[in-house]
Amino acid sequence: MELIDPWLDTAEVRRLAELLMKPSRHPVGALPEAGFEAGFLGYTTTEPAVVAEESQAATPAPAEETVTQADPEPLPSAARSPFLDIIHHFRDWMREHFSAKEMFILDRQGEVIYDESHHGRLHFLARSLALAPRRPGSFAGYVHIKIRAGATLEVIPVETPNGYLILGAVVPGALSPAAVTAVMEAMILVAGAQTPVRPIGQPV
Amino acid sequence: MINIAVSSQKGGVGKTTVSINLAHAFARAGVRTLLVDADPQGSVGLSLTRQSRLLAGFYDFLKDPSTPLERLIVPTRLETFALVASGQASDYEAGGGIGAHLSRVRDFLHAVAGRGYDLCIMDTAAGLFGVTGDVVSSSDAIMILQQAEPLGIRSVPKLLEGLNRMRVMNPRLSILGVCLTMVQHDLIESTEAAAALRQLLPPEMVFQTQIPRNPLFVRASARGLPIGAMEEGAAVQAVFDRLRVEIEDKLQPGDARRV
Repeated sequence: MELIDPWLDTAEVRRLAELLMKPSRHPVGALPEAGFEAGFLGYTTTEPAVVAEESQAATPAPAEETVTQADPEPLPSAARSPFLDIIHHFRDWMREHFSAKEMFILDRQGEVIYDESHHGRLHFLARSLALAPRRPGSFAGYVHIKIRAGATLEVIPVETPNGYLILGAVVPGALSPAAVTAVMEAMILVAGAQTPVRPIGQPV
Repeated sequence: MINIAVSSQKGGVGKTTVSINLAHAFARAGVRTLLVDADPQGSVGLSLTRQSRLLAGFYDFLKDPSTPLERLIVPTRLETFALVASGQASDYEAGGGIGAHLSRVRDFLHAVAGRGYDLCIMDTAAGLFGVTGDVVSSSDAIMILQQAEPLGIRSVPKLLEGLNRMRVMNPRLSILGVCLTMVQHDLIESTEAAAALRQLLPPEMVFQTQIPRNPLFVRASARGLPIGAMEEGAAVQAVFDRLRVEIEDKLQPGDARRV
């Protein structure tokens, strides 16, 4: 093992490998769409119902589409706190710079910190991808997944001084690495709950 | 039907060679087999058909799903063996994130299943992203090829992370295992790398059969034939027959996926 020992954490590699070799919990054919419930709307080239509703609401005044989006779900203690203001500021920044239409933030346990997507199935995917087994100390990379025509889910895990957060944002197309870096930096500011809200820098 | 993605972390490990000869081994055993070139480089077509630059193929279907499957399937002299080349639209948005082509890849596989094939082997581009990610996310099983050389072994952690991520996208994905390729018994670094991989991974994750580096592969490619179709190819064909049997054993008995 001299050939590989200095290069790899062999115990960790073994752990990752053994995880993979566990039999699938899902019999063939049990899942109409990988990783999702039966009603999953994504991964199709046709517009799902959720989007259709949005489109109808926005038809008279497309320019105001972001204004017509549903309000965020009530949050527990943060609902009327400055923290929520900061998140709203962040959401607006995401809309302005990246045309994000839906956004949610989860913690490491998958608990919802903020959600304006009302799409729990995306939570499942985002959390699973962000927490997919990996080597200790290695970075949980961001992932972009096209979920329907003209909509890509960006999953951006961020280790912040206040804990591990998972941002899910539905954007028209995949973000560039530079844009993801800008989002991650912004997320760290958000997690710091700095008040008054510090202006978030322009994406690189 | 079962579909198996043949994939790798790195390029140049022999995916096309293994895909062609493994598919041929199944077909010789009476399994109705379709070999699909899902690598935009189009190596399967270049290896087996002189008209490959004219053939419509997999990427043409991704670009236009109304393309009839009949237009894509190329029969061979062996009744149970057919192939689909990568096609003329190979540069069609080949990159990008996972999911971009998923529904079309699945449409393709549904169409193939409807044609009565028992097995679809998909030769993919290296890496687990873009179209390859969508192919793996749509597959029943994946076989990973790993060249028997030190650098390849050091990339195994990245491979495992990628596969774990694939498992999130496709929880029913069966990991058939890692198959060592280009093994050179006369080169100590190659045999040591092979031994190291066997020590590193659980035994059930590494195929017993390993593919040797052999000049016959070059000759077969030059003649546009699978190795089993060559007069002098019997010994190497036996390697692929063993690999076929190992794969059959790994697929669960009684499972619809069993070939």
